[in-house]
Amino acid sequence: MKRRHFLVGAVVFSALRPFQLLASWSEKSFRRSTLQQAFLDALGTKDLLLSDKITIVAPPAAGDSSLVPVAVISSLKGEELFLFVEKNITPLVFRCILYSNTLAFFSLNIKMKESSALYAVVREGEKYFMATVAVAVEAEGC
Amino acid sequence: MSSDVRVLAREESGIVLVKVIIPHPNESGSRKNEQGLIVAAYFIQEGTVLLNSKPLLDIQLGPSVSRDPFLQFRFFGKKGDRLTLSFRDNRGEQFMADTVVI
Repeated sequence: MKRRHFLVGAVVFSALRPFQLLASWSEKSFRRSTLQQAFLDALGTKDLLLSDKITIVAPPAAGDSSLVPVAVISSLKGEELFLFVEKNITPLVFRCILYSNTLAFFSLNIKMKESSALYAVVREGEKYFMATVAVAVEAEGC
Repeated sequence: MSSDVRVLAREESGIVLVKVIIPHPNESGSRKNEQGLIVAAYFIQEGTVLLNSKPLLDIQLGPSVSRDPFLQFRFFGKKGDRLTLSFRDNRGEQFMADTVVI
């Protein structure tokens, strides 16, 4: 009986512990590189299919380069979302892994070194789809 | 461990919009201060979101995210769903929060 109580306690204790982070941050994906190299490092391919089912919401001209609001939205059944800024020192901004309940939507504020093209990539199965938009930066302040 | 993370999760027509703010300097490691010295990298690198204890979203972030990262995402859910969020920066510090969908 005592042993059973101990086991129940152990289960409750382990459930209360802070959970382990499942994502593993990749040094290689986020290193300083060119855009093409960043595609290879993060996706394993440069073969991206242009898709009209991905939308990047971003201001065409950003007044503050250290705070540019960007959203990636897709009607694809995306399993992963990526955002790249071509001219940034480290082009990959985020990699987002979506589980079954999650919609293909992610938004955050980013820093831009200078005016640049943004690339959003959505992985659906083995295929990578892409959309691009240009953002002009008025004052540099990265 | 810090618990400053602010989360708001609101349901409308079966879709929950989650807004998260993580107070953090989020230094990229390439910015120079007034003395012309590089400010060391100090930024949120990864995060995990659980929906009722099941994985909902994993996120990996690079250095080019703004100060006090502001993230938004959406999922199919309902009022009363429980969200647990955990983030970690490049110095290994954890930032956690939980909330209930309203």
